Amino acid sequence: MEVESPEQLQRKQTTYLSFGENFEIQKEVYRGQQYSQIYFARLHWMRALLYSLVPNWKSHLPVCTILGLEEGTECIIVGTLYKHMKLKPCILDEYSKERSVAPLVKPHNFMNQDDYLVLEDESGRVKLGGTVLSPSVYVTGVVVALHGKETSAGVFFVEDVLEAGLPPQIERPLKSREDKYVVLVSGLSIGSSSSNPLQFQLLVDHITGHLGDEEEQGLVAEIVHLVIAGNSVEISRGILSGQNLASKDQSRLSEPFKELDIQLTQIAASLPLDIMPGSSDPANFSLPQQPLNRCLFPGSATFNTFRSCTNPHCFELDNIRFLGTSGQNIDDLTKYSEAKDKLDFLERTLRWRHLAPTAPNTLGCYPFTDRDPFLIDSCPDVYFVGNQEKYGTRLVKGSEGQSVRLISIPRFCETGVAVLLNMRNLECHALTFGTQFSS
Amino acid sequence: MARTSTNMRGFYRQKKKNHTTTATGCITKSKSTKTPSFVSDITQTPALHTRDDFCDEERALREFDMNMAYGPCLGITRLARWERAQRLGLDPPKEIHCLLKGGDVKLECFLDGRV
Repeated sequence: MEVESPEQLQRKQTTYLSFGENFEIQKEVYRGQQYSQIYFARLHWMRALLYSLVPNWKSHLPVCTILGLEEGTECIIVGTLYKHMKLKPCILDEYSKERSVAPLVKPHNFMNQDDYLVLEDESGRVKLGGTVLSPSVYVTGVVVALHGKETSAGVFFVEDVLEAGLPPQIERPLKSREDKYVVLVSGLSIGSSSSNPLQFQLLVDHITGHLGDEEEQGLVAEIVHLVIAGNSVEISRGILSGQNLASKDQSRLSEPFKELDIQLTQIAASLPLDIMPGSSDPANFSLPQQPLNRCLFPGSATFNTFRSCTNPHCFELDNIRFLGTSGQNIDDLTKYSEAKDKLDFLERTLRWRHLAPTAPNTLGCYPFTDRDPFLIDSCPDVYFVGNQEKYGTRLVKGSEGQSVRLISIPRFCETGVAVLLNMRNLECHALTFGTQFSS
Repeated sequence: MARTSTNMRGFYRQKKKNHTTTATGCITKSKSTKTPSFVSDITQTPALHTRDDFCDEERALREFDMNMAYGPCLGITRLARWERAQRLGLDPPKEIHCLLKGGDVKLECFLDGRV
């Protein structure tokens, strides 16, 4: 009897380039510096950029420093925005003598209609007035150029705003490529009560080609990379109470990692994967989060397809530039500003050319002295954020022909949705895994 | 009761020593007896007028510390701040670099430890 030897399906390959050195802090030495240094680096870089853009915007107006403002003279000033928010939690509230009954911290959004914006540079600061600059859109830490004039009340009345806009993008050759897919997933939350192991196992089996017929497997062979954008494990808060851990609790602490490692080993044996830390992962709290330690993954770290990456993460696959975070930057923007859609926040950070403008004001950040690593100097082709409520995507076009695919990756433990991106045309769609059995 | 000086003027010095003389009031290395040219007498900030004795090298370094164009001075060594200014294209004066690399000057900003 003839046995047909099964056709070996080969997975497609891509070239990988990492740009993660910018976010690594091993070489940094803390000398007691405060955050003024990182704000100076940010203002210096952005101001040089905005000064080069001002002549194309309004060349007839003089540019001056804030201290050089003259009442009634129309001019352009460049500085860092500061938003004064009444409801923003302040550590001093805990020491205030008149403690009201209302809770100190409201969990969701700290906006108030009395919020106002102030522009600051090294020489001074000035309160901003007018309706052009909406305090609900902007946050502390954004550097902009403003056209307006100082009023007699000492307030700068804003007539127009210039944001840095999308950074320049390296041209991708337009030759027709073949279909190659990247899977983006986040919020696996292994170890939490809401995560369903079957759902993640389905995802793993699908990507490694263990499910489906030959046609299905042929489609899966076109998946070339997997990115896990944060929050892969969740350790129950109960055992982290500050007491010494009993030995049975110690095993409870390590079980989520063992389970994750088993799954990642299956994936790493099949295709390259990048794992980023998130807010619930055992990595440092402040951005940029450092890569998860390889000893957490004894099985999968032995594969050269396994990469532990920083958060934010920047890399290139076949000359397509990917940039993304595990969600802390966008979640912070949600608390201090408002937009109709999470993708609006993503687009704003790109137009402000800064991944996390609220760092270090309300978002933990390492006090760099000589640079601000969150400045975006080259426009990515794909810009993603992980751990959001739902899947969303948008194509953003820039004024100089830039084109960026924005992706909001939902939490997998809640939605069962991963994102599949086609590198040929940057189109993406959702990959949903359901485990409900209809009765 | 401590014996007070009959000459109160001598007790509370009105002028710094060596204020009008050239830079021979303190021991300087041979290459830096020349006062750096960018130290201006007109725009000295009040922080420079203290009762501590310091020589012109320290005064030049304090001018460098106080110059806002190079960013905040606290929390960063003077040399690191100079090198950062160089890297950012701010063109800091080369004499400061020589002073910091050569002489036995204070490496930290003059506000270090005071603020």
